[in-house]
Amino acid sequence: MPSTPTLSPQEEQEKLLEEALSIVKNQSFQMKRCLDKGKLMDGLKHASTMLGELRTSMLSPKSYYELYMSISDELRHLELYLVDEFQKGRKVSDLYELVQYAGNIVPRLYLLITVGVVYIKTNELSRKDILKDLVEMCRGVQHPLRGLFLRNYLLQCTKNVLPDVEVESSNGEYEAGIISDSIDFILLNFSEMNKLWVRMQHQGHTRNKEKRERERQELRILVGTNLVRLSQLECIDMGKYKKLVLPGVLEQVVSCRDAIAQEYLMECIIQVFPDDFHLQTLSPFLRACAELHANVNVKNIIISLIDRLAQFAQNEEGTGIPAEIQLFDIFSQQIAQVIQNRSDMPPEDIVSLQVALINLALKCYPDKIEYVDKVLETTEDIFNRLNLDHLEHGSPVSKELMRLMKIPIDNYNNILTILELQHFGPLFECFDYQSRKVMSCYMVSNALENETAIPSQEQVDSLLSIVSVLVQDQNDQPEEGEDPEDFAEEQGIIGRFIHLLLSEDPNQQYLILNTARKHFGAGGDKRIKFTLPPIIFSAYRLAYRYKQQSDEDENWEKKCQKIFQFCHQTIGALIKAEQAEIPLRLFLQGAMAAGSIGFDNHETVAYEFMSQAFSLYEDEISDSKAQLAAITLIIGTLEQISCFGEENHEPLRTQCALAASKLLKKPDQCRGVATCSHLFWSGKSTAQEGETRDGKRTTDCLKKGVKIANQCMDNSVQVQLFVELLNHYIYYYEKENEQVNIQVLNQLISKIKETLPNLEANEETEQINKHFQNTLEHLQVMKQSDDNEGADYSELVI
Amino acid sequence: MAGTGQTATARIQPKKQTLEDAYSPPANFLEIDVLDPQTHGVAKKRYTDYEVKIRTNLPVFKVKESSVRRRYSDFEWLRNELERDSKIVVPPLPGKALKRQLPFRGDDGIFEDEFIEERRKGLEMFINKVAGHPLAQNEKCLHMFLQEPVIDKNYVPGKIRTT
Repeated sequence: MPSTPTLSPQEEQEKLLEEALSIVKNQSFQMKRCLDKGKLMDGLKHASTMLGELRTSMLSPKSYYELYMSISDELRHLELYLVDEFQKGRKVSDLYELVQYAGNIVPRLYLLITVGVVYIKTNELSRKDILKDLVEMCRGVQHPLRGLFLRNYLLQCTKNVLPDVEVESSNGEYEAGIISDSIDFILLNFSEMNKLWVRMQHQGHTRNKEKRERERQELRILVGTNLVRLSQLECIDMGKYKKLVLPGVLEQVVSCRDAIAQEYLMECIIQVFPDDFHLQTLSPFLRACAELHANVNVKNIIISLIDRLAQFAQNEEGTGIPAEIQLFDIFSQQIAQVIQNRSDMPPEDIVSLQVALINLALKCYPDKIEYVDKVLETTEDIFNRLNLDHLEHGSPVSKELMRLMKIPIDNYNNILTILELQHFGPLFECFDYQSRKVMSCYMVSNALENETAIPSQEQVDSLLSIVSVLVQDQNDQPEEGEDPEDFAEEQGIIGRFIHLLLSEDPNQQYLILNTARKHFGAGGDKRIKFTLPPIIFSAYRLAYRYKQQSDEDENWEKKCQKIFQFCHQTIGALIKAEQAEIPLRLFLQGAMAAGSIGFDNHETVAYEFMSQAFSLYEDEISDSKAQLAAITLIIGTLEQISCFGEENHEPLRTQCALAASKLLKKPDQCRGVATCSHLFWSGKSTAQEGETRDGKRTTDCLKKGVKIANQCMDNSVQVQLFVELLNHYIYYYEKENEQVNIQVLNQLISKIKETLPNLEANEETEQINKHFQNTLEHLQVMKQSDDNEGADYSELVI
Repeated sequence: MAGTGQTATARIQPKKQTLEDAYSPPANFLEIDVLDPQTHGVAKKRYTDYEVKIRTNLPVFKVKESSVRRRYSDFEWLRNELERDSKIVVPPLPGKALKRQLPFRGDDGIFEDEFIEERRKGLEMFINKVAGHPLAQNEKCLHMFLQEPVIDKNYVPGKIRTT
């Protein structure tokens, strides 16, 4: 039974490594001492003992690596010593053979490599033969870990001595070798290392598979170094790469049928060799991709290649992608092949490949939107084939598809271009409700950010069909309504978007509005209060445009009439949806537009709109605050309109006065009639030139206001109303209304002065006081001024 | 020195390995797990058995994956058969722990979890060593032990013929 405390695996490793390292230290010290004394054979013996530590099977790859690094440092001393001796002419004959008497194969081969490189550096024997011999002899170690590090040592030592010339330099007695020898050397070493690396997978118990795979990942760079070395040889040109290097590498990669190796090495090929090599060898590379093990994430490999080439196409303006290489077609075909070969590829991975492809199309062929469309078509076909629709929001495939479809939106920043993609809209159908909503908002926001105008009826129609999730109820929408704030925000975006439905041509604009009306009209009561008002405003604006271009279009008046009919009917739809305040304002806006545009029959239209506003006021608006606001707007609108004949203006202004005096609350009444007074002063009808200027009826309104104010019981409100009335009076006094004299002002001022100090001191009082003081200041200024255009303030008492 | 130079690197050319050979999984895969110990019965008839699970690609085994339940005495039987019939040096079994089987113990004796786990490890090591030996692989008793549901102790000893 174990009596010593058991060590954790990590402690065990540390202990083993420490022991090995101390032996290395000791032996290397002795080796160096022997070398200093010129005792080469003894030095080699110590080197061999030191190297014996690399025979262990106990160390993890990580610890083995540390041990290897420390030993290869020490071997450098030996190499330097030997090179030095050889150059001084103190050659040891047959050293290359001599070291092969080392008893164990691991030390023997490390020494052989060390001496071999010394021979190469000092031009002993043929470099070509030595390289070939070394790489062959290393076959002697078949233990994966030991073999991998041995061959890595070979690669490191020969780094700077590989022949990198086209033609044999025949100036010695030995062959120095040419580039093809180096290629053979590295390819052989590579295939041997790959073999060892793959074989590691089969060592040990099945239950340790994961640990083993982790360890293999740690060792992968050793294998990859071969490819790095190949990429560093300057004599490898396109031809050699295509004919010798790539086929040699791919043969090993494909044949090894090991997912870890394949994934890493393919990535390695992409990273270490230059882009123009890749461009010329796309087909073989991608064909190899299609043949990889089912567990290889081939998607990542292809994406990585595409990303690199796409970058390449953008970086180098001068060279770019050579015209004869049909980059897009090649990738498109090969990706289709990969997808076909892998029936179990998850749909999100398929879409990821399409994402890469669409990026490639956009970066390398920015003008060819048909390429982008082709990708979308392929994606659509795949989804149809897999019977995928209503992809759940947030699922990997839905996310990926969203990413795919946002790319052209972001790239073009023009949704008109998006509309040219025949297969964009149909792909929308694959999403579920939530995702369609997200995508639609994304599209619309893009249009808003870029202020993309949609200039034709057809485009408006297809666009609104695509984003219909924002426009109308959907079959698949969730039962429970959504958050009102979110809904308002979303519809607000749509409302803004409507202002982008814009054509240069007014006739086209009219068609656009009708189409938009049709789409949005079906949006239900919740939506139309957001969407119909902008349509109506847009229609009014269109009427103004017709007026402006009346010279060019003899039918402009008829068209304006139609527009107002359209608006009337559209506002009607809002009233049906139990809206009152918005329709009232839209009618007033319409009345004003009709009044100022002045087309045939405009007075009737304006009157109709005004009367509609009145009926809404009377029938639908009951809240007293809303009433005051509405009547103020109606009065203000009427005051602005100048198209009415007396027979229309009279009933309207009388109606206003009546409505104002019939308001429920006294202060409201007071303010209402005071506002109304302006209708009799600056209101306009066609009965006379300019403003009405009926001084008598104007002051009647104000007197009525004073009377009502007197009836108010709340002192504070009363004073407030007096101050307001004073301002109205001053206005008319300055406008030289003969009915207003300085006594009236003096009376009001003294009345206010009397009452004001009695008010309770609070914020409201302060405001009233401020208003009054401002008014007095104004009067003061006017009084002192000489030039008062008729208003005589000399008798004013302040 | 040219002559020496050439001899220094002159070797017998190795036969070129095919890609198939280079990368195919080893043809001698054999993995035997001893696991899931269960104790059955009461008093004198009380015993523990283990699942013996084998996975292999060796042609000599007719089933590539199988699992049986065996108790310590079955391992002893196998060991005796091999010792008698095969020419290999058969490794030892984990000890019988006779002390643990004495009466009046404070604990569960050979049915203590700790002991069972110790024994399981020992049995696993034993069976892997034995089954990995090419000569043992020819013995009928080994095959019966590993792959037959019940051991027929009256079998006719002999060798397996691999065709």
